[in-house]
This record gives sequence, structure tokens and C-alpha cells, in this order.
Amino acid sequence: MSTATERERGAGNGRGAGSGRGAGNGRDAAGPNERVLEPTIFELSSPGRTGHRLPPLDVPEIDLGAAFGTALREAPPELPELSEPEVVRHFTRLAEMNHHVDRAIYPLGSCTMKYNPKINEDVAALPGLAGVHPEAEGEYAQGSIALLHHLGRLLCEISGMDAVSLQPPAGASGELAGMLIVRAYHSDRGNPRSRVIVPDSAHGTNPASVALAGYEAIEIASGPDGRIDVDALRAAVDDETAAVMITNPNTLGVFETRIHEIVDVVHAAGGLVYLDGANLNASLGVVRPGDEGFDIMHFNLHKTFSAPHGGGGPGSGPVGVMAHLAQYLPYPVAARDETKAEGYEYYMDYDRPKSIGRVHAAYGNFLVAVKAYAYILTLGPAGLRRVAENAVLNANYLQKLLAPHYDLPYGGYCQHEFVLSASRQKEESGVTALDIAKRLLDYGLHAPTIYFPLIVKEALMIEPTETESRESLDRFADVMLAIARESRESPELVTGAPTTTPVGRLDEARAAKDLDVAWEND
Amino acid sequence: MPYVPNTDRDRRAMLDTIGAASVDELFADVPAELRTSGDLDVPGPLSELELLRHMRKLASANRTTDDVVSFLGGGVYDTVVPSAVRHITGLPHFYTAYTPYQAEASQGTLQSIYEFQSLIARLTGLPVANASMYDGASAAAEACVAALAVTRKRKILLSATTNPALRAVTKTYLGASGAEVVELPSRDGVTDVDVLGDALGDAAAVVVQHPNFFGLLEPVAEIGERVSESSALLVSSVDPISLALLAPPSAYGAEIAVGEGQCLGAPVAFGGPLLGFMATTRKHVRRLPGRIIGGATDDEGRRGYIMTLQTREQHIRREKATSNICTNQGLVALGATVYLSLLGKAGLRELAVQLASKARYAADALSHVRGVKLRFDGPFFREFVVELPFDAARTKCELSKIAIWPGINCGCYYDDMKNCLLVTVSERHTREDIDTLASALEAIIATGGTA
Repeated sequence: MSTATERERGAGNGRGAGSGRGAGNGRDAAGPNERVLEPTIFELSSPGRTGHRLPPLDVPEIDLGAAFGTALREAPPELPELSEPEVVRHFTRLAEMNHHVDRAIYPLGSCTMKYNPKINEDVAALPGLAGVHPEAEGEYAQGSIALLHHLGRLLCEISGMDAVSLQPPAGASGELAGMLIVRAYHSDRGNPRSRVIVPDSAHGTNPASVALAGYEAIEIASGPDGRIDVDALRAAVDDETAAVMITNPNTLGVFETRIHEIVDVVHAAGGLVYLDGANLNASLGVVRPGDEGFDIMHFNLHKTFSAPHGGGGPGSGPVGVMAHLAQYLPYPVAARDETKAEGYEYYMDYDRPKSIGRVHAAYGNFLVAVKAYAYILTLGPAGLRRVAENAVLNANYLQKLLAPHYDLPYGGYCQHEFVLSASRQKEESGVTALDIAKRLLDYGLHAPTIYFPLIVKEALMIEPTETESRESLDRFADVMLAIARESRESPELVTGAPTTTPVGRLDEARAAKDLDVAWEND
Repeated sequence: MPYVPNTDRDRRAMLDTIGAASVDELFADVPAELRTSGDLDVPGPLSELELLRHMRKLASANRTTDDVVSFLGGGVYDTVVPSAVRHITGLPHFYTAYTPYQAEASQGTLQSIYEFQSLIARLTGLPVANASMYDGASAAAEACVAALAVTRKRKILLSATTNPALRAVTKTYLGASGAEVVELPSRDGVTDVDVLGDALGDAAAVVVQHPNFFGLLEPVAEIGERVSESSALLVSSVDPISLALLAPPSAYGAEIAVGEGQCLGAPVAFGGPLLGFMATTRKHVRRLPGRIIGGATDDEGRRGYIMTLQTREQHIRREKATSNICTNQGLVALGATVYLSLLGKAGLRELAVQLASKARYAADALSHVRGVKLRFDGPFFREFVVELPFDAARTKCELSKIAIWPGINCGCYYDDMKNCLLVTVSERHTREDIDTLASALEAIIATGGTA
């Protein structure tokens, strides 16, 4: 097992060669007491430079004054002026300061940071897919519409849902669409109802989406095993319950074994059951949400279906429903008319009078859908099941290795993720989950999700995914064990971390107080 | 299984460590009666070669600007993307990273978003921008949500000259809020300022688009003046390229600027991913949805960047959050940052001048065709509406046979514009492309509607 010191001397942490912390590139533009790793693009600007050339204008140049008069801007916006190599170097130096999946494990719980296959990037860049205008007539976009239609059908098969709209551009958008479908369904039956029940282990987007859809979020406490307390649910459900939002497996990585009972309780009261599909990776080919009894769900193509996370998007959050809700899906929906001749049979269906409306300016994040589609075809049915099996195997293996050294509030076999607590470390030596997260960065690894779910104190939520090898998991476990030892023997190493990253811990409170959200030239 | 390293031997060893007899045992919590029996009905597995062939076949059923001369626009623009943009957004350090939850290991993402915010602030003249939104349409919708919260009023005035998708998405978002969405009528292709005056009384926001869906400049100075006399917020949806030339939203009193940023270095991509942006005044910073990146210093005085003001957000505030939006279009925002950095101050201006010049040239060329006239008189930026002697849908259909897409059929969105086309130019178009469109139109008009 390597120690932190060895690692610090060794592989480094994704920093640019030679740019040890604080060294930057010698610039000191932010003030006498502040050191800068990479100046902003604005500081690198030099008048007269440009990094792009347009073809020469071959029509008469417009007389701006005559054309636009007082609508003109007084002074041009102060954009930076750099040549192409300077721009490329700036962003490459920034890139080198990032941790990323291509480098090492990125075990953020509920984020499913799996490897992003390279071929998917290639197919999404095909000019015939990337270059189609959304206003192209359907007969000239048959490939794109067919792809959306096929992907929708595949997601239905994988999930057991009956219909899918690929319009929501992110998981949270899919949740909003789902909640608006709930509202439309109940409104059609005379009363939109007023409340949506959300377990206390839910993602924060759930209650936020509930509120945006005009509902009151009612939180119910989880039972001692981390699962929904069915009695508490039964007590909370009434004829004002529009829906219950469930994540299954939940954010503790536990499967809701009583899901059938839960669904029955909600359905008996006339409510709908919504699945937050963030954790679908554990279910691929193993169990289908539609078979579990869910009425609505959203998918995260950037989690389960390998589309890259992009440093925070673009994602894709298709919403799926059972047949009785299909008419409410966001419009337009990619559809197929088999009576039409080849080359004309796929179309975007706008004729959906009961639809909740549009949630995106076009058809959602099409290129993300392309990557998910490519991924599903590459895997095939056996491959999809292999994903779930290995995701769950990897999580259980890691849980087993780590359980003796950290508290494990909810034991037993986990699904795709598990949640540890650093309560022991905090009590023994004052080392918190945050400290452990920061110390992991020193070892060149990414931290788990921390302080979530909210029901676990000092939570470390770990989702390794199926694309990590046994060696990678062993390495992560070794480091976590080393940090547990450091926490006992020399806690200052942990509480003082990170020391090998480009910057140390940043002062969040001061940053929120002295707000600096845009660069201003001196 | 190319993406799963574990072999049977690995699995055996790992199961031994776990103390489980089989992988199946790990799924013991999943009730047996719910388990999927047998394989899913999904095609594959495909090798890379098979996948490529299949995807190329799908792609070949599409047509792009490589195949046709297209004048489609309406918010999504087929711009020339400098090669360096794709190379930077293609760095795995950016595209395989996630939201910068661990700031110390995400400085690249954080600083580039900070630079994006700074660029949006400079373009719009408003000091605070967020880290991006899904698209221009949902950005406008979220601006309305913010305005409802700021003013505590319940009415949104949405100009009929804004993009139809923007209006549709805004209505969806506000559908459950109890707020009333009223469409402001237009006159001569722009928002009717007189009607606006009467409607302002109890409005939370007035949403205009400048240049508007028809490409026309709105009377923003007058609108800004009227709105400033009320307690409503002016929300202006802007084309970022136009801001190289046109007065920024801050100059006419808009308190929130939003817009579609796809034209900043992203492909048309069948409409996604797009890139929404939003900027506002310091006063309303806490009403902004989504991520905001701020400058910070570490314990040794080094400058760095973090996600700031997180108490607005759903992962902390839950149902009291300003929005449910979390991460959204990070990589597209990075692309926009690289794009604007490459074009720079002079390059963006030159592009804007080219677009305005080509639009003017095209409008002149088309309106010289007998039977074709400009629908509106006002100044326009990169697109304009022409009225034909007959149905625009038929015209499109005929011209597409000779590989010309003349523009968007306005009749799809406005009942009284069945004969109108929204024609958009781009820096890709040569004079010859525009002349070709004019002569093709002339030809089909001469023959009464067939190419």
C-alpha cells in the first residue's frame, strides 16, 4: 500500500507539468498577497489579437448608423483579444487542474460516474447527426427522428414504461415534467390535489420540482433499515396526495423490498407513484420500474447510459410513463407511422392536446440521446444486465473492504452504492467527512458525495460503478484505510488536506460575502 | 464486455471477499416476483464497426448544410465553429468531469465557468450571470419565476414577437404557479407599446426578445421607459452575437437578460444541446437559479473559484429553492467561452457586421423578386420575414427539391402569416447562395408555384 507521501511525490494530481502549487506561471495579477495559478482570459488579453478568421464579406457592408441608429451600443463589449495558441494553452492549463473519469475513480454517490465510451463521442460528432437543424422538414431529418423514436422504445423496454418523451434536457427537468404530468392527470379527474410525499432520503431536486409544479412537499421519515416506513406512508397518504416520489434503489443504496405494498397504498388513495431514475444503473436487466408498479419515471442518460457529465451538463432526463399517462407527455414526441413509405414514416407528433406542453425549445439534448442509443446497442441485452451486476458487485466489494474502518449505518448487501459515516472519526479525532473527502484528493482520487443523504451524519456516499476494475477498487480501499489510520494517528494530515491540489481549501463564507462572480478589469 | 473490466475470475474472488455465493445473492432484496426473467428485447451487442455503420446509415437519412443551402434559423443558428472549440470541449479533463463539488480538484471547470459568467456580464451589461441554463426558452421561463418572487405579483406579459418555443416553455413552467400569462400583441412586427402601457399595472414581468423572432429590433428604449414606471421587471431575451453592435439590456433598463447561446460555438444538433444564459443586477443575485461560480482565496492566499451562494439551491434549500435546476449545460458553456475568446472583441463585431450586411443584402435581393415583399419595415439583424404570393409551406416544399431551404414557415406559428417565410443568413452564406435563393424564388413564382 502506498502512503500519501509516496503519492504526492509520485503520480501527482492532474496538475500541469511543472506547475506545482502556487507556482502558477509567475503572474501575480490579483494583488500583492494573492497568488494566481492561471490568470483569467481577460488578463491574458492583448489589444489587436484574434483567434479566428471569417471569410471575407462578399456583399456591401452595412452602414450601421443608418441601419440601427440609436439602437447601437456606445462601446463594444470588452471581450478578450488572444490568438488561437494562447486560447488553447489557457484552456488546456485549466483542463489540467480538473479531476476526471478518464484519470481515476470518481465515486460520487447517485451520480453514476462511469466511463464514457469514446466511440459514442465519435458517432455524436457525425456531421449527419450534429449538423441537422431542428427546423428541418421531417423528411430531411428521418435519421434523427428515427433515432429518438428507437431510443424511446428501448428505454420503454428497459424500464417497463409504455411511452417516453426525450424532451427534458436534464434529470431535474424530467422531474418537473413528471410532476406536471401528475398535475394534469389529477386535474383531468377534477382535482389536481395538493401534496406530494417525498422520503427524507430523496435528492434535493425532488422537493424543488414538487414546489415548481405547485405542490406542497411532505417529507416522511425513513424506517430504521433506511427504507420507506410503510406505516408512516400509509398515515401520510390521503385524498390530497397527488403522488409519492421514490428513488429505488434509494440514495442509501438499498432496494425498497416492500415496493409492491408501497405502490398499492398510494394507488388505493388515487395517487401516482413516481420513480426518480437516478439509480437505475442497479436495475438494468434485473428489475423494471414498470413491473414494480411505478406510473412515471425519469431517466438520466448521462448517468445510467454513459453519456459524459461534461463538467456539469449537458445531460438528458427523458420522462417515461405508463399508458394511462401517455397523453400528457411533453410534446412533440418522436413517432412512427408504419403506413407511410420508407423515408417518411418517422415524424414529430405535435398533435397532443392533453400534453403538459414543451419543456425544451427543441427536442431535448439530442446529441446526448445519440450517445445513450449507441451505448445500449453496444451493450445489448446481456451487456445491460452485466452493467447492473457488476455495479452492484463492485459496490458490495468496496463496502466489505471499508465497513470495518468506517461506520456503516445501514448494513446488508447494498445495490449500486452504499453510505458510510465518518461519525467514528469525528468523535475520535475531530476528522469530518469533509476532511476525508479533501484528503482523498491528495491521493489523486475523487471524493464520494458527502453529507448526503441528509439522514446519515457525516455521510460518505460511494458509487464505484461497473467500469472500475478490482485493482481500482482495491486502490480506493487502500487509500480510505490509510486515511482512517491517519485520522487516528495524525489527524492534522486529514484536517489540513488537501495539500497537493492546485489550491487548498477555499473560504466559502468569505466568497459569499465578498461576491466576485465576474472579472472586472482594473 | 469492453466497458466492464471484471472477468469471471475477478467476480469469483470478489464474491469470496464479500462472502456471497453468487452475484444473484446480492440482489436478494429485489422481490423474486419482480425480477426480469430472460433477456430484455434489445438489439446488440454491436462491435464498434457495426455501430458506426448503423449510425452512419441513420445520419445518411438526414440532410445538413453540407447537402443543401439552408436559410433556417429562428434561434438555432448554423454558425462556423472554430476547430479549437471542439478540441477544447473534447478534452476528457472537461467532458468526463462532473459538477465541481470538490473545488480543489475542479479548478479548470470552475475558472472556465467564471470566465463564461464574466463574458455574459460584459455582453449584457448586467453584472451577475449564472453558470448556464438548459436553453433560451427555459431561461426566460426561469426569469419569470424569479420575477414573480421578486414582485409578488401574479401576471406575466409575454410579447407575441418572442420565439414561439420560448412562449410555449414559459407557459409550461408557469402552468402550475397560478400566475396568469398574457400575450402582448404586436404591431408592425414588434411589441405594441401602447397596449403594453395599459397592461402593466399588476404585472410581475414583461418579456421581450430583441431582436425578436422576426429578426426585428424591438423599441426597447420605449419599452424600458414604460416598464420602469411600473413595478414589473423587464426581461429581455437577446441574441448574444447582436450584442457586439446593439445596446445591451442594461442600457434600456432590463433587470434580467436571458438568451440562447447555441450560436456561440455549438452545432445545430437537431436542437440540442442548446445553451441558455441569464444575467441580472446585483440586487437580484439571490433570485438567480442554478449554479453561480465565485472567486475565492484559499488558506494560503491563492486565488481559486468555488460554487457560491449555494443556499439558493435545491440541494440545500430543497422545496424553498429558487429553482430545481442544478447542473445543466456546462460543456456547452465552456464551448461558448472558448468561442468568444477566439473571436474576441474585433471578431465578434466583424461577425455581427457580416450577419447584418448579409441579411440586408438578402432582404434587398428577395424583395426585388416580383411578388415578394418584406413583411415588416423595421430594422433587422440576422433574419427577416418575406411575404410570398402564395403558401410558404408549398414554396419550401418546391425549393427543397432543388436543395434550397428558404427559411421557417411563419404560418406554423402565426395564423395570419401563412405566406410568410423567416429567412436567416449566416456567415456561411456567400453572395451566390443568396442570389441563388432569389432566382429560385423568382422561378417558382413565374411558374405559379412549382420549381
